Amino acid sequence: MTPTDELIAPRAAIAPPVATPAAGPAASTRIALVGNPNTGKTTLFNRLCGARAKTSNFPGTTTAIRTGRAMVGGLPVEVVDLPGLYELRLNAPESRLCRDVLQGGGVYRRPDAVVVVADACNLTRNLVLVGELLATGVPVVVALNMIDLAQRRGLTLDVARLGRLIGCPVVPMVARRGIGVEAVGEAIVRRLDPSSRASAVARAAAELPPPPADRAGELPQWAERVVEASVGGPGAVGTGADTLTERLDAAFTHPVLGVVVFVALMGGLFWTLFTLAAVPMDLIEVTFARLGALAGETLPPGPVHDLVAEGIIGGIAGTVVFLPQICLLFFLISLLEDTGYLARAAFVMDRLLCRFGLPGHAFVPLLTAHACALPGIMATRLIPDRRDRLATILVAPMMSCSARLPVYVLLTSLLFANRPLVAGFVFAGCYLLGAVAALVSALLLGRTVLRGRARPMVLELPSYKVPSLTNASLTAKDQGLAFLKTVGTVIMAICVVMWWLSAYPKTEPPAEAGRLRAAAAAPNLPANEAADMVAEAEAIEARSAQAGSIAGRLGRVIQPVFAPLGYDWQLTVGVMTSFLAREVFVSTMSVLVGAAGNDDVTDAGVLGRIRGATREDGTPLFTPATSASLLVFFVLAMQCLPTLTMTRRETGQTRWALLQFLYMSSLAYVFATVTYQGLRLAGIA
Amino acid sequence: MCPVRLCDLPAGAIARLHATDVPGEDGALLRALGLTERCRLRLCKSGEPCIVQVRATRIGLSKTVAEQVLVVPEPAC
Repeated sequence: MTPTDELIAPRAAIAPPVATPAAGPAASTRIALVGNPNTGKTTLFNRLCGARAKTSNFPGTTTAIRTGRAMVGGLPVEVVDLPGLYELRLNAPESRLCRDVLQGGGVYRRPDAVVVVADACNLTRNLVLVGELLATGVPVVVALNMIDLAQRRGLTLDVARLGRLIGCPVVPMVARRGIGVEAVGEAIVRRLDPSSRASAVARAAAELPPPPADRAGELPQWAERVVEASVGGPGAVGTGADTLTERLDAAFTHPVLGVVVFVALMGGLFWTLFTLAAVPMDLIEVTFARLGALAGETLPPGPVHDLVAEGIIGGIAGTVVFLPQICLLFFLISLLEDTGYLARAAFVMDRLLCRFGLPGHAFVPLLTAHACALPGIMATRLIPDRRDRLATILVAPMMSCSARLPVYVLLTSLLFANRPLVAGFVFAGCYLLGAVAALVSALLLGRTVLRGRARPMVLELPSYKVPSLTNASLTAKDQGLAFLKTVGTVIMAICVVMWWLSAYPKTEPPAEAGRLRAAAAAPNLPANEAADMVAEAEAIEARSAQAGSIAGRLGRVIQPVFAPLGYDWQLTVGVMTSFLAREVFVSTMSVLVGAAGNDDVTDAGVLGRIRGATREDGTPLFTPATSASLLVFFVLAMQCLPTLTMTRRETGQTRWALLQFLYMSSLAYVFATVTYQGLRLAGIA
Repeated sequence: MCPVRLCDLPAGAIARLHATDVPGEDGALLRALGLTERCRLRLCKSGEPCIVQVRATRIGLSKTVAEQVLVVPEPAC
């Protein structure tokens, strides 16, 4: 018998094995998992439900809860994993949600039983929540987790006595290793069965009952009395030092060393992210390209062909390509969070971010947004305070994401054709401009619509642990599915609408294209010359189609609005079509200047064509002032519909998405105008 | 002994909580984390952040919060 087994053995005293009666609890039995943060609640949930769980927002909120089905003690039950909370009576979102669920609020009916996952090393604090739950009258089973760790720390727990004192079954458990999980299930079934002897034992009057709900302030003293009577050992109620934890905390929160560790870890995280995600991203791109080609070959030419091949497949491909980054990012963040490091890192970044009204927790979303704003916004779920979370969501898209890269490459190449070093500095400057704009905007938001400062940090520093690969994998799966759900619904609809605006109405091919095609069909013409002519004809047709489309016509109508920024109708169309996704600007430009089908900005031919493109009056399309203005515009503007959709989803309100769009667009407009007009006045136009 | 601010304690000092001036949700969170009246605590790290241990819970506090927590130091054993 291992030492852990010895600790677990006394469970029989409080919950003796009894045969499950034939008429057990109904199949629709619902149990809720409740507990303080970092007690292993999710580990128990994953042990019970595995990959069959699904994550959804609690109705009317943006707080995610996980539900799953499991066989518990031989009975099918629905398990609800509620967010970690310290006390039911706190005015925090997770406490409110838990109160709602326990009262049968929303679409969730009251659970038949509650399993409180309690940390055996920190019983006094965990018992406060147990006391609150017992006072509600709901059947409670306490799963005493991390019993092995408690033993290593010298604690001796009399589990049977603990159960008698508080008046409910207490089952020791090591959820990470699966020890005691089955016993928890059996205890739940017995607790639910009114004819069970164990149930009768459990219902017997507690020797030390918790104070009633109207005297909840006495719960800490009650918890201390219970612990004094059931827990022994040197660390039972003391405040002894854990030398390794002390040293790690001192290093990770040190003003200098803490920053060095943080930069190294985050650098490693993002290097891993970009390196490992590149392979599946390439695979997705190739797969969607083949799907598009297959649809093109299979479907007869016509509107349906164009809708499927270009609108649906093309549109979705541009967003789904980020799925590997999102899954991997959440996998890595979950691992880091599991180790206990993230709580320390939040304090390191809090020193910088709190000056701008953002909490230390915001560093992960802001850093993530450099890859893509979508996972960046999703990562704000780490931020506990709603005001702080909103502020982070609103400014995260200002961080330069990877979709801006092609635009930055194109414009810096146009601006500094033969000066790669200067182009590199300007390129880096774009990233800096985005970050500064985000921080200053957070400061402004804190003085206007989101009045107040970031809440001073008060955070539990969890014990350092070896992370769970299973938990991280399931988190990545959940987040990936949530992302795909958004892509498959709202984002797909938006892609189709945007494609339709830039593809319809169809226009007659220009006569010049017809002449070129006729000439290419002439006999005795060398094959390469014929191919060039056909390519030129296709480019002319694409340009004409773009100009004649609704987006093209709107571009001409709206152009006066963009005139102060130095944009003609072609650039206006480029800016408008890139509202779907920023990188579309490059492909639109290549179409408009007659390099259709090739949006490789490193291709000298495409760059040459774009550089040589002219306006209708014959003047150059891309002057230094125009290019600089566009660069500033793309750094600051909200040119990404999927991001707005994600903002709407994560904030739960359309007005925040609207504010984000209006604020960022206005900022981009003003600064791009100032850039263009300033350079023009300086004679650089 | 007279109460002193938590942020003024040296690292490693043991004290008992006297009172907190932390308002609203943060005050309630401190209590939920175990920083209740007369509870025994140990200051693990001073400065920014300030880290205290109450029973088995380690709590990180911004200096601004630590300035609003009054404790009574206990003599070293």
